[in-house]
Amino acid sequence: MKEMRYHEVNDTVLAGFSRPNKAYYVMLAMAFMGILVGVFAWGWQIATGIGATGDNHPVMWGTYLINFVFWVGIAHSGTLISAILYLFKAPWRTPLARSAEAMTVFAVSVAGLFPLIHLGRVWIVYWILPYPNQRNLWPNFQSPLVFDVIAISTYLTVSSIFWYTGLIPDLAILREKFQGLRKKIYGFLSLGWTGNSRQWGHYGWVYLLFAALATPLVISVHSVVSWDFALGIVPGWHSTIFAPYFVAGAIHSGLAMVLILLIPLRILYRFENILTMEIFENVAKTIVFTGLIMLYSYLTEMFIAWYSANEAEREIFHWRAVGPYAFGYWLMFICNAVAPLFFYIKKLRTNLVSLIIISVLINLGMWFERYIIILSSPAHEYDPYSWGLYLGPSIVEIGIMLGSFSMFFFLFLLFTKLLPTVSMTELKEDLPAPHRGGR
Amino acid sequence: MTDRLLAIYAYVDDVLKAIDRMKTEKIDVETVYSPALNEEVEEALEVKPSPVRRFVLFGGIFGILFGLALAVYTAAQWNFIVWGKPPIPSVSNVIVAFEFCILFAILSGVAGLLILTRLPRLRIPAHYDARFTVDRYGILLACPPARSDAIRQILRDSGAEEIRDVRS
Repeated sequence: MKEMRYHEVNDTVLAGFSRPNKAYYVMLAMAFMGILVGVFAWGWQIATGIGATGDNHPVMWGTYLINFVFWVGIAHSGTLISAILYLFKAPWRTPLARSAEAMTVFAVSVAGLFPLIHLGRVWIVYWILPYPNQRNLWPNFQSPLVFDVIAISTYLTVSSIFWYTGLIPDLAILREKFQGLRKKIYGFLSLGWTGNSRQWGHYGWVYLLFAALATPLVISVHSVVSWDFALGIVPGWHSTIFAPYFVAGAIHSGLAMVLILLIPLRILYRFENILTMEIFENVAKTIVFTGLIMLYSYLTEMFIAWYSANEAEREIFHWRAVGPYAFGYWLMFICNAVAPLFFYIKKLRTNLVSLIIISVLINLGMWFERYIIILSSPAHEYDPYSWGLYLGPSIVEIGIMLGSFSMFFFLFLLFTKLLPTVSMTELKEDLPAPHRGGR
Repeated sequence: MTDRLLAIYAYVDDVLKAIDRMKTEKIDVETVYSPALNEEVEEALEVKPSPVRRFVLFGGIFGILFGLALAVYTAAQWNFIVWGKPPIPSVSNVIVAFEFCILFAILSGVAGLLILTRLPRLRIPAHYDARFTVDRYGILLACPPARSDAIRQILRDSGAEEIRDVRS
């Protein structure tokens, strides 16, 4: 971050609140249209039944679970970047933490819709909650699906609180900047924050503790998601590598999504002084690290399948590489494990275009990773009699997938205009406090 | 006549100087407003570690107990015997206990923050200056009428840009 004065921090970040241009409204309208498509598709599915998706045995979940895991993965990196880098006092954390946290909240909100969508009869969703009922029926707390409900809802709650807590001092800045209705709304949301020493004293501690608690939570959530698969005795799923492999993959895709969101933000809101190339370079270096973990995981999976001498395990990995899903498999391998290695070249990790291209490739690869894991294993289990193929998403699934991406970008677009995308108070903390005669 | 004063500063070293002088003169500094968390100011005011830590700790312990109790109680309602597996498992309950631990620790931390900072507040104090959210610091301090002139002089000497009377 370039050296700035306190008031320049406010001026730079608050400049983003100016009247949006036409391009912004066009993007917002497109995202809203996408949401309407998703709502219509879901409504159609509710009206006609889950059969509208065309999903059938043996691949019952279709793209719904792919999208669920994809969005949970995206959600992963935001809180992780914010919390873990806060604990390690990484100097490049502050400018991107707020947007990354927002990305988490929106992504996990979108992810949370998929189990509801896939339930079919969404109006009885409350059956999954543990509440005293007439027949004394309770959720089975030994099931990874119930772990998932607890983990995801805890993650949504904790990420939202962590995000909102960080926002409070900035909301007070907005309260003082605006007049009329906006002043009232920001005033209400800022809870009457004044930034006195009592408030800062408790706030500093609580934020540190939240970061310390959020870090293991982030690791646990995607581990729990991985156990949805790993606890099933299905070839290609039943593996102890799944938890760390899923966590690394989630961070990998989340970091790439951070670049996809923040590079346009830097250009549109003229945040060159705040979102510097050095920050993007650090994110790219971390992507190289997570990409190497992905490469190691893919090779280890292959090795374990061969070394185990388990025929079903060997067969599923061979089938993934050369069978009908081979295109997706190699796309996953190249995008996740090979493409990030290009960030070893300094020119590519300091160029906005190459940063965006490789980040998009990584997210494409991570979507296909879930595609391969979720679709191939149930399609090719032990018994050849029950083998089958998933022949691509139906129009209903495509509509809902479009709706989910649109909802994510719609919420992020609103966020960039209604809330500060960079934490002003934390930027000030990183700067030397104003001293007489300078320092 | 007022019983409190608000001094506004542009530089943090002036604020530290003023706090130091107030300590020497045994004058109570009620609070210091700052645009960001500043460790030097915290140290000068001798702010103790926040008890919000205890809220988080007890919330976390309660969460573990609650999660375990819920998982054990619900499993005990149905003796679901699968081969030699115990109806009340120990390993899988760790996950439930862990998630509830984090959830309740955070919720309890929020409650602690609100209680200790006395938030939410419907009204901002009348003496509050919007510049505290930008780049100015403020010291709010007690000002016994008999020492008013001396205190004002200390504040001016330490570099206060502005000194205001604060009516309770």
